[in-house]
Amino acid sequence: MSAATTRHIQADATATIARHIVVSGRVQGVGYRPFVYRIASEFEITGSVYNGGGKVHIHAEGAAAAVDRLQAALIDRAPPLARPAIESRVDTEFTGLLDFTIRPSGASAEADVHIPPDLFTCDECVAELNNPNERRYRYPFINCTQCGPRYTIIAATPYDRPNTSMNDFPLCAACQREYDNPHDRRFHAQPLACPDCGPSLEYIDGELRIEQTEEALTATVNAIRRGAIVAVKGVGGYHLMCDAGNDEAVRRLRQRKHRPHKPLAVMFPIDGEDGLAAVRQAVEPTATEAQCIADPARPIVLVAKRPDFPLAKTLAPGLTELGVFLPYSPLHHVLLQDFGQPVVATSGNVSGEPVITDRSEAINRLDAIADAFLHHDRPIVRPADDAVVRVIANSYQSLRPGRGSAPAERELPAKIETPTIAVGGHMKNTVALAWDRRVVMSPHIGDLDSPRSILVFQQVATDLQNLYNVSATRIVCDLHPGYASTRWAKHQPLPVLTAQHHRAHASALYGEHAGAGTWLVFAWDGVGYGDDATLWGGEGFIGQPGDWRRATSFRPFNLVGGDRAAREPWRSAAALAWAAGHDWLPPVDDAALAAKAWQKNINTLSSSAAGRLFDAAAAFVLKRQFASFEGQGPMELESMADDRAKPVSLPMSTDADGVLRADWQALLPILTDDDRPMHERAATFHISMAQVVVDQALSLRDEHNFATVGLTGGVFQNRKLTELVTDRLMTLGFDVRLHRDIPANDGGLCFGQIIETMATDRQ
Amino acid sequence: MIEDRHIILAHGNGGRFMRELIAGIFARHLANPDLDVDLDAAPVTINDDGTPFISTDGFIVQPLEFPGGDIGSLAVHGTVNDLAVCGARPHYLTLNAFIEEGLEVEQLDRIVASLATAAKKAGVRVVAGDTKVLPRGEGGGLYLATTGVGIRPHGLELGMDKIRDGDTIVVSGPVGDHGVCVMLAREEFEISGDVQSDCASVLPLTEAAVKFAGLRFMRDPTRGGLATVAGEIAQHTGLELRLFETAIPVRDPVRMVCDMLGYDPYYLACEGRVVAIVAADNADALIADWRETEGGKDAALIGKVRAGNSKVVLETELAGERVLEELEDDPLPRIC
Repeated sequence: MSAATTRHIQADATATIARHIVVSGRVQGVGYRPFVYRIASEFEITGSVYNGGGKVHIHAEGAAAAVDRLQAALIDRAPPLARPAIESRVDTEFTGLLDFTIRPSGASAEADVHIPPDLFTCDECVAELNNPNERRYRYPFINCTQCGPRYTIIAATPYDRPNTSMNDFPLCAACQREYDNPHDRRFHAQPLACPDCGPSLEYIDGELRIEQTEEALTATVNAIRRGAIVAVKGVGGYHLMCDAGNDEAVRRLRQRKHRPHKPLAVMFPIDGEDGLAAVRQAVEPTATEAQCIADPARPIVLVAKRPDFPLAKTLAPGLTELGVFLPYSPLHHVLLQDFGQPVVATSGNVSGEPVITDRSEAINRLDAIADAFLHHDRPIVRPADDAVVRVIANSYQSLRPGRGSAPAERELPAKIETPTIAVGGHMKNTVALAWDRRVVMSPHIGDLDSPRSILVFQQVATDLQNLYNVSATRIVCDLHPGYASTRWAKHQPLPVLTAQHHRAHASALYGEHAGAGTWLVFAWDGVGYGDDATLWGGEGFIGQPGDWRRATSFRPFNLVGGDRAAREPWRSAAALAWAAGHDWLPPVDDAALAAKAWQKNINTLSSSAAGRLFDAAAAFVLKRQFASFEGQGPMELESMADDRAKPVSLPMSTDADGVLRADWQALLPILTDDDRPMHERAATFHISMAQVVVDQALSLRDEHNFATVGLTGGVFQNRKLTELVTDRLMTLGFDVRLHRDIPANDGGLCFGQIIETMATDRQ
Repeated sequence: MIEDRHIILAHGNGGRFMRELIAGIFARHLANPDLDVDLDAAPVTINDDGTPFISTDGFIVQPLEFPGGDIGSLAVHGTVNDLAVCGARPHYLTLNAFIEEGLEVEQLDRIVASLATAAKKAGVRVVAGDTKVLPRGEGGGLYLATTGVGIRPHGLELGMDKIRDGDTIVVSGPVGDHGVCVMLAREEFEISGDVQSDCASVLPLTEAAVKFAGLRFMRDPTRGGLATVAGEIAQHTGLELRLFETAIPVRDPVRMVCDMLGYDPYYLACEGRVVAIVAADNADALIADWRETEGGKDAALIGKVRAGNSKVVLETELAGERVLEELEDDPLPRIC
C-alpha cells in the first residue's frame, strides 16, 4: 500500500474507495470465493471475486473502513482449510458498482493452480450426517466446500465438477440449488452429492449383492461383527477392515495378506468430549499426539499402547506402539458409529504396492484376502494411502505423506531456474514438481518393484505436470543406477541430473527449515548409493545444499547377499562378527556357505549404513534373524530398550579422505553377551549410537564453524535414538533440527533432490 | 608325441612343436572324413535342403573344467545350441584355440577329447581350426571360439515377430544350474558337487519342438539367464511377459545357493536349456513331448505372453508382482 493511500484512509474512513486485492496461498478448492462473497455482503461491499493464476482476485468498493474490514476478514475469518496470504492490494478508481458477483474463472488463467488434499468431514457435515431430519442423514458421500475428496477425484484442472470423477453424477434439482446459491455452504462444492443423485454403496459377499446404501452398510457392519474381513472402498483407495478386538479375525487377515508381523492401523469411533475417548481405551496419547490424531489431515498416529491393551494382541506384536486414527470420510463415520468398536483399517494392497483404487482390481487382487467387499461408484482417479506420523521430541514427524496431507506444497527458497521433476528413490517413492517458487510433492506411492507401483509412479509424474499446467524440462533422480525411478528418468527425452541419496536427505532437512549457513547433518538409513559405489547410510555431512562434504561415517563392513540383507538381519550381524574376527555362525540354515562367500568376497558390498548396525543389534540381542517387514528388527529393538544405560564409547579415527569413522566393534562384546538382559543391551546400543552422533558433532565443532545439527534418514524415525541425540546435543548448545512435514525416510528424497538441484544451479 | 607336460610358446611358432600339438591332440580327437589339417580351407557339402545358418561364439570360463562339463563341451554346445534354437540342424564347426603358455598338456587333451565327444554326439564335424599360444599371463589357460553352419528346413519360420498375446512360455528344465555350478567351482566351495552344469546340446529338444505348428520362437538362456531372454522378447515385441515364480523349475541346491549369496536364479546362465514361446493350445503337448526327450524331463509351463508395455513381470509366490529389469552391472541392493 502506498503511503498516500494510507493517509487517505486515515483522513476519511467513511469515504468510498475501490481496492484490488490479490490473495494467494491455499485458496483453491476450499470454498474461498463463496466465503469472500458472504463477507462482502456482510460489509456491504460491491465488486467481484474471481480466480486468476491460481490466486483469488477481489475488486472491492465501499466505505474505506468497510473495505479495510473486508481485507482483514480475508485472513482472520478465512475458511478453516484455507491458508490465505494477501499478496497485493492496490487502490483503484471507484466506479460505483451496485452488487457483488462471483465471476467465472478463465480457464487460461489457471496456470497457477492449487490442488488441495482430500479433506476430512467437517463438523457441520458430521452434524447433518447424524441428523434424521436432514436429507443427507447417514449419506456416506456428504461433503461441502470445506470438506470432501479433492486430489483423489480431480482428473484435470481447473477444479470444476466436469473435471472430476463426479462428472458422471448430474446434480438433482435440490443439489443444483445449493450449488448455485452463493449463500449456501455447498455453493460450487464440486463433489456435491445426495442420496438422490450421488454415489451409492454396493456390498458383495459371494453370491450376495446388495445395492441399497443403507442395507449395504448394515451388511458390512454385520460381517465385521461376525469376524469377517471386508474390503472397503474409501477416499484414496480400499481398506481391509476387520474387528480389531477379534484376535482370530486379525490372525486370519495376517495370514491371508502374508503379513505375519507388520503392525496394522486401527480406526477408532469418535467418542467423548474431544472425540478420543475410544482411542484412550487402547492407547495413551500425549497432548501432542492427541492433537495429531484430531488434525484435519486425520493421519495414522503411532501411540504407546496401554499396559492393559484391550484389543487383539496380534495388532502390533513385539512393539509398544499402535497406529491409530479417526474416521475421516462420512462413510467411515457411519461405519464406525454403527459398529461402535475399533476396526483394523489397513491398506488394501499387495505389500509395497500403492493402495488399490479400482473395483475390478480390488476384486482380482483382494479376493483371496477379503470375505466381502463394500464398493462405491465414485471413481478414484489416483491413489492416496493414509498418512502416517509419529511424535518425536514432542513434535510430529511425517513418516508417510498421504491422503489428507498430500499433495503438499511448499515455497522454494528462491525461484528455480527451470521446471524440474524429482523422481525420488526406489522404496517409499514420492515425486515432486518444482517451478517458479513452488514445489508440490505427491503422496506416498510405494516401493517401485511391481508393475502397478511403476504405473502409478508414471501416472503421478505425468498428472502433477498436467494438473499444475507445468511441463518439466529436466529430471532429477537418485545416483543409484538400479532404482526404477532412475531407469524411468533415463528413458525420458529430458536432461537428467542426479543427486546422491544422503545429500538429498540432508538437503531435504535443510530446505524444510529454510536453513542458512553451514550445518552438520547426519543422514542415517538402511542403504543408499554412495559416491564411491559403496553403500552409505551412516554418514554425516558438513556444509549446505550443493556443497555437502562427507565428514563422518562408520567403519565399513562387508554385507553378503545383496538386497537380502535388508530382510535378513543375521547378515548384518554376521558381517560385523566376521569382520571382528569371530568365527560365529548365525543360527540359520546353510550359514557356512554365506561365511565362505563373505571370505571370498562373492557378491558382498561394503557398507557403512547405520540401519544395518541396528539390524545387527536386533539379530544379536533379540535373535531376530529374519524380518517380515522393513525395519522390524530395529523397531522391536527400540520397543525393548530401557531408558537408562551407560554408553559404550566407540573409538573414532580419520581415514585417508578425512572422514571421521566410528568403529562399531567395541559394541560386540555387550551385544553378544546373552547373560545380560535384552532390554539392557538394547538400551546400551541406543545410547551408544546416540553418543556417536554427539562425539562426531563435538569433534567436528573444533574445526568447523557450525551451530546447527540436523538428523535425517530413516534411522532417525527411531524416537528413542532421536530423543537421546537431541537432548544431548541441545545440552551442548547445538541447535538441533528434525523433520516435520518432509519424511526423514526416502519419502523425503524428492524434495531434497529439488533443493540439491537448485543449489547446484547457483554454482 | 608331445615331450613337455606344459604348453610352451614354441607350440605356437609354426614349427615341429606346433605340428605335433595339432596332430597329437586336435587331429587325433577330432578326426573325421572332412577334416584335413594340411588344407588352408575345407571344402564341405551339405545334403540338406533349406536355408544355411551360421553362428559364432567365443568361450572363456573359469575353471576350464567344472562338474558336468568343461570349456570344450561348452564350445560345441554353445554354437550348436544357437543354431538349434533357430530351428537349424548343425553340420559343421570351425574351432579356434587360444592357449596360454603353461597350460598342462594333459588338461588340454582332456578338454579336446570332451569337445570331440560333444561334437560327435551333436552330429557336427569340426572341419577347420587354428591354434595360437599366448604368453603366460595373457590368457586364462584356454580360450575357444567356434563357428557353426547349419541348415534350417524350408517352411520352418521362427522369430520374435511371430509371438502373440496369449502365447505361453515354456522352459525345458531347471534354470541357473550352469551359473551356480561354475561359480561354486571357481571359488572352490566344497558343496560344488551338489550342482552340475546343465551343459548339453539342446538339439533333441528343438527338433521335438519344431514339429509343433504353434511354435513361435526359441532361445537358449545363456548369459543373463531366463530373465534376460524374456526381457529381450518384451523389448522387441512390446508385449508383456509374465513369469510364474512357483512354476519355474529351480533345483533345491541352486535355490539354496542363490538364497544364501543373494543371487537371482532367473538371471543365471544355463547351457542346456531352451525357452520356447508356443501357442497356448500347443503348450501341453510340447511339454509332454519334451518330458520324454533327453534333457527335458523337468520341462514346465512357466508363463504367458500378454499385451502390455515391454515389461517382464514375475508373479511371486505371495501373490505379489515384481518387474524383472534388464541386468545392469552387478545388481546392487536398493532397499533402505
